[in-house]
Amino acid sequence: MKIWKYVVAIWMTVVISAGFLIYIPEIPILEQTARNIFFHVPMWMTMFVLFLISFWYSIQYLNEPKPMYDVKASSAASVGVAFGICGLLTGSLWARFTWGSWWTFAEPKMNLAALALMIYVAYFVLRSAFDDHQKRAKLSAVYNIFAVTTIPFLLYVVPRQLTSLHPGADGNPAFSEITADELRIVLYPAFIGFIALGCWIYNVHYRYNKVKLDIENS
Amino acid sequence: MQEDSVAVVDTLTKAYSDQWAGVNGSEDVGTFVQFMSSNDLIFVVLGVSLIIWLVLLFFLFRVDKKVSNLEEQIKNNQEG
Repeated sequence: MKIWKYVVAIWMTVVISAGFLIYIPEIPILEQTARNIFFHVPMWMTMFVLFLISFWYSIQYLNEPKPMYDVKASSAASVGVAFGICGLLTGSLWARFTWGSWWTFAEPKMNLAALALMIYVAYFVLRSAFDDHQKRAKLSAVYNIFAVTTIPFLLYVVPRQLTSLHPGADGNPAFSEITADELRIVLYPAFIGFIALGCWIYNVHYRYNKVKLDIENS
Repeated sequence: MQEDSVAVVDTLTKAYSDQWAGVNGSEDVGTFVQFMSSNDLIFVVLGVSLIIWLVLLFFLFRVDKKVSNLEEQIKNNQEG
């Protein structure tokens, strides 16, 4: 066990506790759910980082077709999807009690985030369609590079052009005078903690897949 | 306190037992329970979240160690 994993364990325990314990100002409608920002937003940040790792190893694979690059790319993408699903589910629950609906098709960020995840689900469907390892690795690497380019458009560029209830959209900035600055004190450590936790899970998942491949080849 | 017949006990409007009357009479209970009962019970939510987090963390540590053991085994097999 590497030492950084113990650091992540302690760091995340402190972040979760602080998320509940710090004083937050009273914001109408949000009330205590403002604390959700410490848990909901880092899910997406972790997903972005894992997709970037996946993207990086897909490029590496196309440069130099080593099977390990493919294993790394697919492991990172699957952990990224898991965090994305957490982001969608937490967002849906939060929306129910602040916007009044579990899901609304009028909300661009919500729907485009779901679309982004489906693009990644298609990545795994594509992978499952091949028996030949090299063919699978090469085609899924190409698809993965396409998939990652959609992410900034689906989650940032397009939602910002449309009116939306979701903070960070047109006419509704994520941090403004109506949103409390104090939340940043926990939010940024939570980003670091959850991203590190995501990398840890990715590390374990990758090593499991590598061992599996080693056993298959031996 | 307990009646002979189950049907006559109205547990919806009355506490089934005096001992289960929740936070009523918190002056009798220990400081831990008093602390947990303060601030609209938010510490109970914190406790639940921490239990979930620590159990998942324990699980993650265990899986990590198991994968390390497998890696060791494969390494030894390749050498031996």
